[in-house]
Amino acid sequence: MYELFIAIRHLTSRRRQTFFSVLAVGLAVMLLMWSQALMVGFTDVMYEKTVDRMAHVTVEPQEGEDYIHLYRNLIENINGIDGVVGISPVLTGAATFEYKGKNKNVAMQGIQVEAHDSVMFINDNIIEGSFRDLEISPNSVVVGDALAEKLDVEIGDTIDASFPEANPVNLKVVGIYNSGTPMDETLAFTSLSTVQDFLDVSNVVTTILVRGNDRERAQAISEKIDTFGYPASGWKETNPEIIQTLKIEGTSNAITLGLIIIIASFGIVSTLFMVVMEKTKEIGMLMAMGVSRRSIMMIFVMESGILGLLGAIMGVTVGALLAIKMGSYDYGFEVMAGISSINFVVRFQDAAIIVLFTFLLNLIAGIYPASRASKLKPVEAIGRD
Amino acid sequence: MSEKYIIQIKNLTKIFGDGVEIKALDGVDLNIERGEFLAIIGPSGSGKSTLLNQIGILDTPTSGTILLDGVDVTEMSDKKRSITRNKQLGFIFQYHHLLPDFNALENVMMPLLISGIKSSQARKTAKEVLAEVGLADRMDHRPNQLSGGQNQRVAIARALVNKPSVVIGDEPTGNLDSKASDNIYELLRKLNQEHNQTFILVTHDVRMAEKTDRIIRLVDGRIAGNSKNST
Repeated sequence: MYELFIAIRHLTSRRRQTFFSVLAVGLAVMLLMWSQALMVGFTDVMYEKTVDRMAHVTVEPQEGEDYIHLYRNLIENINGIDGVVGISPVLTGAATFEYKGKNKNVAMQGIQVEAHDSVMFINDNIIEGSFRDLEISPNSVVVGDALAEKLDVEIGDTIDASFPEANPVNLKVVGIYNSGTPMDETLAFTSLSTVQDFLDVSNVVTTILVRGNDRERAQAISEKIDTFGYPASGWKETNPEIIQTLKIEGTSNAITLGLIIIIASFGIVSTLFMVVMEKTKEIGMLMAMGVSRRSIMMIFVMESGILGLLGAIMGVTVGALLAIKMGSYDYGFEVMAGISSINFVVRFQDAAIIVLFTFLLNLIAGIYPASRASKLKPVEAIGRD
Repeated sequence: MSEKYIIQIKNLTKIFGDGVEIKALDGVDLNIERGEFLAIIGPSGSGKSTLLNQIGILDTPTSGTILLDGVDVTEMSDKKRSITRNKQLGFIFQYHHLLPDFNALENVMMPLLISGIKSSQARKTAKEVLAEVGLADRMDHRPNQLSGGQNQRVAIARALVNKPSVVIGDEPTGNLDSKASDNIYELLRKLNQEHNQTFILVTHDVRMAEKTDRIIRLVDGRIAGNSKNST
């Protein structure tokens, strides 16, 4: 491999040019690596704040039905599916809440506290009172803090719940929660039987919510539930905008930074052109010594590739270190969805892809100046001065 | 025939044409014997270098044939030409054209590495040849650390290291003072006798030409004189 020997020597002989070429690529790659780590970290937070708090799979009544009647059988079947970690039967009905002349229309959800917590982690959101009291005291309710504020109720107060064609009921406030979402103003929890009595229905539910051990298993779980005869949909189907948002952000990010790397790589092209001009006589002499055009081409493509590879490795390393450093720093104020540090996630696969992409790009970028070098005519290249 | 002649040139013509056509070579016929030490002389523009470039397959003729050791080099593919240049031909130019980023030893090793010889073997052979041209103690020096004469010796070592059957010199001493020129000439002559390689030198130096076996005189792209030296 004398081609590599020559390529490396060319690079080590013009250290300054080599340094700046590597630096240019390195900076671009660093930016890409850093921003990729930020993006992945952001995506993780996004999932944590959204998908991880919603049901992975939602099961609905069969077509033409308002309710799931034999929900206990269905739950048993769902429980047998691989990867299911939580199942919650839910009966939702509309209600008007009234307290001392103030009223508000809400969605009233009847739940089994333990089961619902295993899917929605509701206990994490409680700020006053307790969800457990729903099952201890009959006709009790847990409301969101925004709703509590609207109605001006506190723990221990009793709300009048009514709705056309429903059995009015008095509900004692036993807990106040805050989920940080608009639900806090419109969603109230009670026990399953309370809603069933309110709506005057037998032991039925409107929805079954399911959580898997991995959000990516949602699709498989929902397909399996479909085979039981009940329409089920994964979170990607119920919330397509989440995936869309992440995709759009990720893509625009990748395009911008990819362009920066392309520009840096083409900086190498112009440097290589200068080198080819400078080394015309040498190239002629190499040809006289029996170096084929193909090998001349290889020498210069290798030079470009080596510069790209060095820049990529340097950039990925520095970018990753920077991300790790910045990720562990506490900024002392809220920078991202309720946390005071920026979440960076450095993944090996991202680094590997960036290095490979940059290396290949530089090999391609090197082809043009290299082919110019290989097309020199030995006689003219050597010259006669 | 081909046993005796290492090079047979038949009716070789080279026309450079960019608007006005210039006949640099006009039907040259020339046979060169194995082991001959030959000088090509002639005024500027007479076609000496063009002829040399044709023999060195650095350029292609407009018409005519060149047989190198019985094989027509004008019909070869680029790859074949490269291999032939590497294995059968050695080049010495007026300027040494050493690779500036490599030291003397690496420069001399280069033709061996190009031919695929292992680095350790190439190093050994290159050292021997450098010693032969009297530069055993300068092997680690780069071209910019050596004198003109020394660089030219490195260039000669490089031209000879692959044991080519033909060594081509385009004014190999044209850039040196007369003492250094004499030394180079003596060296070339010695190598010619020891290895029985064919040397073809283009030169302006009449003194040097007179010391060769034969002088070919080119005028306007034709052979105007072909005289054996008596020495």
